[in-house]
Amino acid sequence: MSSMIKLERSATMLAPHDWQLLPMRFHRLDPDSMVLTNLVGEHEFVTSGELHDVMDGTCRDQELLARLRAAHLIQVPGETLPAELLAIKLRTRMRRLPDSTGLHIFVVSLRCEHTCRYCQVSRQSSAKQEFDMTEETAGRSLELAFRSPSPHMKIEFQGGEPLLNFPLIRWITAEAKRMNSGYGKDLAFVIATNLALLDDEILDFCAAEDVHISTSLDGPRDLHNGNRRRPGQDSWQQAVAGIERVQARLGPDRVSALMTTTEASLGRAAEVIDTYADLGLRAVFLRPISPYGFALRRRGGANYDVDRWLEFYTTGLDRIVELNRRGLPMVEVYASIIATKMLTNSDPGYVDLTSPAGIGIGALVYNYDGDIYASDEGRMLAEMGDHTFRLGNVHDSSYADVMLSEALLNPLSQSLTLSAPMCTTCAFEPYCGADPVFHHATAGDFTGHKALSAFCRRNMGVFTLLLRRMRDDPYFRDLMRRWAQC
Amino acid sequence: MNQAKRELTLTFDRAAVDLDALQRSAYAMAADVTVDIRVLSTEYVCTLFPRGHEASADEIQHRFRSEVNDQILRARIAKETEPLRNLVFALAFSQTGLVEAEGEAG
Repeated sequence: MSSMIKLERSATMLAPHDWQLLPMRFHRLDPDSMVLTNLVGEHEFVTSGELHDVMDGTCRDQELLARLRAAHLIQVPGETLPAELLAIKLRTRMRRLPDSTGLHIFVVSLRCEHTCRYCQVSRQSSAKQEFDMTEETAGRSLELAFRSPSPHMKIEFQGGEPLLNFPLIRWITAEAKRMNSGYGKDLAFVIATNLALLDDEILDFCAAEDVHISTSLDGPRDLHNGNRRRPGQDSWQQAVAGIERVQARLGPDRVSALMTTTEASLGRAAEVIDTYADLGLRAVFLRPISPYGFALRRRGGANYDVDRWLEFYTTGLDRIVELNRRGLPMVEVYASIIATKMLTNSDPGYVDLTSPAGIGIGALVYNYDGDIYASDEGRMLAEMGDHTFRLGNVHDSSYADVMLSEALLNPLSQSLTLSAPMCTTCAFEPYCGADPVFHHATAGDFTGHKALSAFCRRNMGVFTLLLRRMRDDPYFRDLMRRWAQC
Repeated sequence: MNQAKRELTLTFDRAAVDLDALQRSAYAMAADVTVDIRVLSTEYVCTLFPRGHEASADEIQHRFRSEVNDQILRARIAKETEPLRNLVFALAFSQTGLVEAEGEAG
């Protein structure tokens, strides 16, 4: 390799035609403003005229040429270092692939005492214990999970409400730690809970076993309780009390919250952010509703389009930036994931924003009945009767059966952004993802028609927003650099 | 413009524009228009059928022409950089063990 490396020319001034283009794509942010991106997402902002001058070899703006060269968008003919660096960076971004499946979701119970408007799964009453996972199923699930080559292993307990089957959470945690003595993986546990059933026994367990809590908080009380119904209409009060108990007992960093944007959230983004800030939660994930399950019913909360969500997102982002300017450090999680992809060589592996898609490779879901799904959204589709993303069952499928199943490989291969129409020439391809589950659910195939895809429109909107802000606001660019390290 | 059917017609010189650029533009604008492309001896005739009535005829025509110009630019960049793109991918995946794995399988 070292013999291929030549020293770059010491001269920094480039004469006309003294450079060549490296692989790049462009997107118009405004009529005369473009962003250029290379194969790994490094980028620069130029005008249309500047791009034409660079392409024609007539550019005399040495400062611009230096920036484009530093961003690996042009090189001097004969140089080999830029291609080698790009290759290293590309390989770095793809390194999660051979170390596949770090997230293992255990649906320990389908029972729930909430009846959320947008719930994607077929919730069952708290009394129906036939919807609980058994130790036998959990044990088989663990055996499969430990076959994943990833050195990191996060076990996330989901439901329903997983705390309704807390004894199994205890059992799985102990069993996973016992099994891990032979594997040596970096093992972590998360309980995704509405916190209504939190008690001292559970807190003691989380403290002793280093378990993280993830909960749902949709914003102010009336908004949250309108979305997330339970007997007594006190879901928000239970969640807030639970968050405060976890913060006090386990520490402020051991609890995080997620919100779901319903139609009722629109216009209230700043209130959502302020609710999080008041509770000492420093990360907000402004998530659109998933187009699955009960969310699609008339009162499910999904009755809004991409433009209205982008308006909500923009307002929420503005509020978070404002709080940061005032000295209160807060993070918008989606922007921080994208910042990592835009400003570093790492790929955080967020399932929705990866290609090959994150299904199976990034996460596997073990349902209460032993069925294995390629993602949580794949399980949600199954609850609606669509078993496309069912990869097998822990009682009769081997690890090879699961990971080499057509139910996994077909959507992976058919949704690759490097071969999907429009994605191949899209400047945002290094930042974006494939999401075959979304496109299967909304378009009927794993690729979708990107010009008609809400996924594409939403992400193009977010990428454009973040890039414009970085171009125009040095403070925001610095903030994104900090978020990229989160 | 045919007001009743709301059709817009644009012609492109075959010596200046590739059919591929027109097809890619039609695909990229599918949310707003569907496009019929006919090939004549010296030109391509594109008939645009707007899906809605929000955008004016001028606006749609400008957007389609602009999209075609961008597609031409993208094709030029892709052609000029294809050897380097292949080189980067070859370098990136040359040390992954995939070649050996295929050899063993074969």
